[in-house]
Amino acid sequence: MSEILKINRRAALKLLGAGGAVLAAPTIIRPRPAWADNGVLNITTYDKFLPQEFIDKFQKDTGIEVRIRLTDDQGKQYNLLTAEGANPSTDIVTVAGHRYSQFISSKLLQPLDTGKIANWKNLNAAYQDASWARVDGNLWGLPILAGYEGLARNVDYVKEAPSWEIMFDPQFKGQTSYIVSDFMTIVMQYLGHDGDFVSYAGKVDEAQKATNEARDFLIKNKDMVRKYYDAGSEVQQMFINEDIYLAHSWSGPAAKLIIDGHPIQLSVPKEGTFGFCYTLNVVNNAPNAENAYKLLDAILASPEVGAAMTRQSGYSSTMNGVGDLLNEREKLASTLPQEEVERIIFFSSLNRDMKNEMIDRATAEVKAA
Amino acid sequence: MVSSNTTAGYGALREAPVPKYSTGIAKVVNSPLYRHTLGAAVESRIGRILLLAGVPMIWLMMLHVGPIYQMLKISLLSHYPVQPGVESRFTLDNYAIFFRESIYFTPLIKSFIFATAATAATLVVVYPVAYYVAKVVKPQGRSRALLLLLVPFWAGELIRTFSVIMLLANRGAVNVLLREIGFIDRPIPMLYTSFSLGFGLVYLICLYMLLPLYSAIEKIPSPLLDAAADLGAGPFTRFRRIILPLSRDGIVSGCCLVFLTCIGVFATPMLLGGPNTVLFPETISGFFHGASDKWPVGAAFALIMLVTALTAAAIFMRLVGGRKRRAI
Repeated sequence: MSEILKINRRAALKLLGAGGAVLAAPTIIRPRPAWADNGVLNITTYDKFLPQEFIDKFQKDTGIEVRIRLTDDQGKQYNLLTAEGANPSTDIVTVAGHRYSQFISSKLLQPLDTGKIANWKNLNAAYQDASWARVDGNLWGLPILAGYEGLARNVDYVKEAPSWEIMFDPQFKGQTSYIVSDFMTIVMQYLGHDGDFVSYAGKVDEAQKATNEARDFLIKNKDMVRKYYDAGSEVQQMFINEDIYLAHSWSGPAAKLIIDGHPIQLSVPKEGTFGFCYTLNVVNNAPNAENAYKLLDAILASPEVGAAMTRQSGYSSTMNGVGDLLNEREKLASTLPQEEVERIIFFSSLNRDMKNEMIDRATAEVKAA
Repeated sequence: MVSSNTTAGYGALREAPVPKYSTGIAKVVNSPLYRHTLGAAVESRIGRILLLAGVPMIWLMMLHVGPIYQMLKISLLSHYPVQPGVESRFTLDNYAIFFRESIYFTPLIKSFIFATAATAATLVVVYPVAYYVAKVVKPQGRSRALLLLLVPFWAGELIRTFSVIMLLANRGAVNVLLREIGFIDRPIPMLYTSFSLGFGLVYLICLYMLLPLYSAIEKIPSPLLDAAADLGAGPFTRFRRIILPLSRDGIVSGCCLVFLTCIGVFATPMLLGGPNTVLFPETISGFFHGASDKWPVGAAFALIMLVTALTAAAIFMRLVGGRKRRAI
């Protein structure tokens, strides 16, 4: 044993050198985390929102490597960002306007400095200073795509759908589909309540009563549903396979089916619906904030980018001049008659906590029933 | 004796000069750096045990125990992820929610019923296949037969799930075939039902049943079956009195693997299930990405499911496996 412990000078130096190298290896190999390199930009966004051609061109023009992380849910994105705290690994997130209050109150976003976006003027005037977009006196993101919750139908089997009532018509039993939490708010509107909970601020009992009524209605009509879905791709697949003829759908996935030539039509029934807008937001303490602004500016540089976004996602672009670049079918998919446009109310960011709490619970109850 | 020889061997190796024609490995083994670190560790029995157990222990701690510990930690917090200005405190409320709210109990029960039914169905479907490969196929062809059965599993779980969708959809292969041959005018709604979920689950997890069953059945001595037949035992008697008892090991292992996989399966029920097949993993996932964002409740529910599933599997193993030990 004493032999083992007898270390000569050379062995000691070797041991010290090896130990030091092991300890220093992480710093030598990677002085900064990959997501904090100067030449990269990390974006968390939805599938098909940012066109690959645009990303390729941006990378070529600026030398900045764009790393896309896909998300399919606002809550998931919020949780991941919150979990990373003051050291986020993403520079840009894609937030729906009505979730602003949640992200801003948690200090996850930084106010948008429009002075750094030279092409800001190319954003449609209606979105440059929209009421929902300004919180605490600041703008917080670049609106890129707008949509609404519509009634999609296969016109080969459903000729007209003037009311949400058709979702509960026995002749379409087992041929409808919806996202429970989203459709719950629509059903509240259909039953004459406030599905956006704005008027229920401070009125917990009234809100609970309205939510319970919608919940019970959905449970009573559970046999009408073929499937509760979560992602836009699911409702597209069900329409293509003719598993369903009717669905409550975000406008993007349904419009994409229309663009692709499927016999689908999207409408806003007489009871109305809710609209929303997706924005690209620079994250608080973003490791590559300057690169993020370069990307936002590049998006607004050409309406071709907005047109490509619309073609890919199905949602309407917020940029000027995009309409001129779309063909007839694409225009048809992304436009509505004026009377239906007037039925769309944009989701408010007020009273979100009460809404989320009650809708989440009611959703679980509908699914478990 | 062996031990002392081994020790002497290590000592001899330690003292041996590096031959000029030695390999690189011998140089490393004889280097002072190695001798004073790994070489010294293998000198003692405890050192060798630690070295041998080290890798699996690190693996277990980092990839199995670590995530469960993290989940346990989150489940005992009032808030997670913690937002600025909010203090997270220790609480058991997240567990209490499960016992207080009956709506969360239903999906757990459904999950157990589905997992049990899927396990039973998989056993019934896979047992004859495993028997065929282990006993009917000639020994030289068994590897090829097994390989053929394994080919679909080279594709990912999601791809196989989507293949089930393409098979059972209203415009899927089955409905198209039935319509082409004039059996039906309108498609039969097979997808998004309990049937499609059961069918998909059995297809996706049958491998976990097939391999333990094959392994157990293959070990049953064929002369035993021949002797039973010579003594007048019919096929059913041979199955009941010889094959079934001797393949019990495989049945227990396969059933446990399939049951535990089924109970936690998430993507398949989401893609193949319908409004009446909402299982507990989907309920749990709702807490992680629902609007209210309640990770601690989701973590608590996940642990409740883990403990319940392991308890059920342990009871099953005790009941079925235990009886076998007594029989022996």
